[in-house]
Amino acid sequence: MSLLQLNDISVHDGATQLVAPVSLTLEPGVPLIILGETGSGKSLLAQAVMGTLPQGLTARGRITLGKDQLDPAHPARFRALWGRRIAVLPQEPWLSLDPLMRAAPQIAETHHLVRGLTRSDAAVQAQKDLAALDLAAVGQRYPHELSGGMAQRVAIAAARAGGARIVIADEPTKGLDAARRDDVARLLLDALGRDGGLAVITHDLALAQMIGGQIIVMREGCVVEAGRTAAVFAAPTAAYTRELIAADPAHWPARSTLATPVSGLAPVKPVVAAKGISLTRGGQRLMGDLDIAVHAGQVLGITGPSGCGKSSLGDVLLGLLAPDAGEVTRAPGLPRTALQKLYQDPVAAFPPRRKLGVTLADVAALHGAKAQDIPAQMARLRLDPALLQRLPGAVSGGELQRLALLRVMLARPAFIFADEPTSRLDPITQREVIALLRKVATEDGVAVVLVSHDMALIDKTADRVVRLGAGAQEQAPALQKAYAG
Amino acid sequence: MTAIFDTTSPARLAGAAILAALAALALVGPLLVPGDPFGQSLVKSLGGPEAAAPLGYDHLGRSLFHRLAHALRLSPAIALGAVATAGAAGLILGTWAAAQGGWVDRILTTLADALLALPGLLLVLIVLAIMPGTAFGFWAGLSLVLWVEFFRLTRATSRAVLASPAVEAARLLGFGWPYIFRTHLWPEIAPVMLTAAAFGTATAIMAIAALGFVSVGMRAPTPELGLMMVELLPYWREAPAALLTPVIATFALLMGLTLLAGSRET
Repeated sequence: MSLLQLNDISVHDGATQLVAPVSLTLEPGVPLIILGETGSGKSLLAQAVMGTLPQGLTARGRITLGKDQLDPAHPARFRALWGRRIAVLPQEPWLSLDPLMRAAPQIAETHHLVRGLTRSDAAVQAQKDLAALDLAAVGQRYPHELSGGMAQRVAIAAARAGGARIVIADEPTKGLDAARRDDVARLLLDALGRDGGLAVITHDLALAQMIGGQIIVMREGCVVEAGRTAAVFAAPTAAYTRELIAADPAHWPARSTLATPVSGLAPVKPVVAAKGISLTRGGQRLMGDLDIAVHAGQVLGITGPSGCGKSSLGDVLLGLLAPDAGEVTRAPGLPRTALQKLYQDPVAAFPPRRKLGVTLADVAALHGAKAQDIPAQMARLRLDPALLQRLPGAVSGGELQRLALLRVMLARPAFIFADEPTSRLDPITQREVIALLRKVATEDGVAVVLVSHDMALIDKTADRVVRLGAGAQEQAPALQKAYAG
Repeated sequence: MTAIFDTTSPARLAGAAILAALAALALVGPLLVPGDPFGQSLVKSLGGPEAAAPLGYDHLGRSLFHRLAHALRLSPAIALGAVATAGAAGLILGTWAAAQGGWVDRILTTLADALLALPGLLLVLIVLAIMPGTAFGFWAGLSLVLWVEFFRLTRATSRAVLASPAVEAARLLGFGWPYIFRTHLWPEIAPVMLTAAAFGTATAIMAIAALGFVSVGMRAPTPELGLMMVELLPYWREAPAALLTPVIATFALLMGLTLLAGSRET
């Protein structure tokens, strides 16, 4: 018998249909993946099932949960099911755990309050849960003393403690690097995949492939493709799914070495060079004796696990942070503003209450750019001029990152440090932004340092690669592959 | 400045309306009904309302209406002056401490914390001991008390804003401090400052009235809300309405300011 069955679930905002009718079944032991980019309606669908839609939105259709029939139009009745029948795994677990409460009591609390065990039984059960997830030793730690992966496991244990067989994981790998993403996927499968019902909402293709099971692909509120995950990835039928899979960096065409000759061998002066850089953060040595040179028109990729000092290295190159040892030299005659940065979260990089057009006009005026420079650059970066009338929060992430690139270009940079510029974008937008960055580097002769935790993306984009972490060193991509392979 | 009033709520509008009515009473009232707040006429002592004195007379036969109008100019004027000075000082020092960090920040924060540890009224009293019974003394004392709040708010907000990628990007793009202050800091600080200013004005008015009430503030015969209350207190049985006049006026003033301040989250 299926755990959960949805019949023609749709979401409406007044007369507007946000999610077209969706029907699907969740079977025990067969995970379900809802794949889609931001704004595809995947989260709304999950909220309709949970009965947690924002005020003003209504859901229609029929939900069958085990033997019970539910009407999503009356979400108030869903409350009784939360924790006991359906649980949600929050996006960023270290934010959803109580920072002032040790790990074990957070789980015991659910056993006690939701399942109604006595306090002592709840504590015993919580300890068993932790042991099952290899966390027996950390039950008395506070969330800030846990690693991201541990916090994720504690959150899973707490979410399941109410006895729910169905768990909906909303973007469980958001903000995690590749290694940690694989851990989470394994964890979800181990904890829930065998007999429980697991629904995963994600835009991450690699996670979808690891989870397997069934998949539905959503776009603009409609299901464009559904089927077995392996089959869909092997032979996507919908044009959008094909595009989405092709946009995964792992499937990008290999960088043509002819178009961008590795001129690092030629006797050209680098735009920015660092020699013997050592960095320590919070008593931890991030890198020692690192040499880096960035040349005009080239993309230098920096990759490594989170917390390995990628961003700090960028700040050193930009002159925002002094290294513990070593020195950074810049090409003579470079003005201070020739060194620019692209941020991971473009929304945070713009003044929030100022129209984008005004902000860009300020930059243009400061750098003596001509009035037609902004429209010309907007056309080049394929941006709609209407965006200039909006506030930063009212523009999509991909558009805003391109506007950030435009803003940086107005300062006529010689060097751009791009710090995970696409990690919050969906694959198709990511490919577009990276291609534009690459184009700007080549056409305008800008030296670009591109930081990403996505090894495939770096390999396919960068002329040379620096891998931080164990034994940081600079290598040509081919050489690095030889090491890795 | 329009951004500040974006969060217009019914409560804020009501507060603004109350304050506007009181301002009209204080500024326009004496023009409509001419009279002298100091002129005595013992015959009319504690007399009821009449055309020349719409609110009646106090124990010395002075028109309560005109005394109240005068008092409603004095306290808010001192309070607004003190808040303006304190706000400017707090804004400048708070931004400076946040931007500079290090020793500047540590010294200013320690100073602010030290002042915070003293009861505010005590500090005003010390300044008043040097300059007794003058509006200038109140202004100086209250400014000294009130700047701490503005300093702390500005410093906390500025620290967060200055550490943001938006400010780092602006600096990399070559913008100077005036631009960063105007486009990044001020829009974030202004709404909190407005709220703090309304609360600060209320605090100042209350302090002036409280010190007047215990007869260590403004000196008679100056019409001042607290002083008027204590002067009329002995006659509460004969003329309760006369005593209530400054009480209601003070209450309305503080209520208007508190409503205008809105909730601290906005």
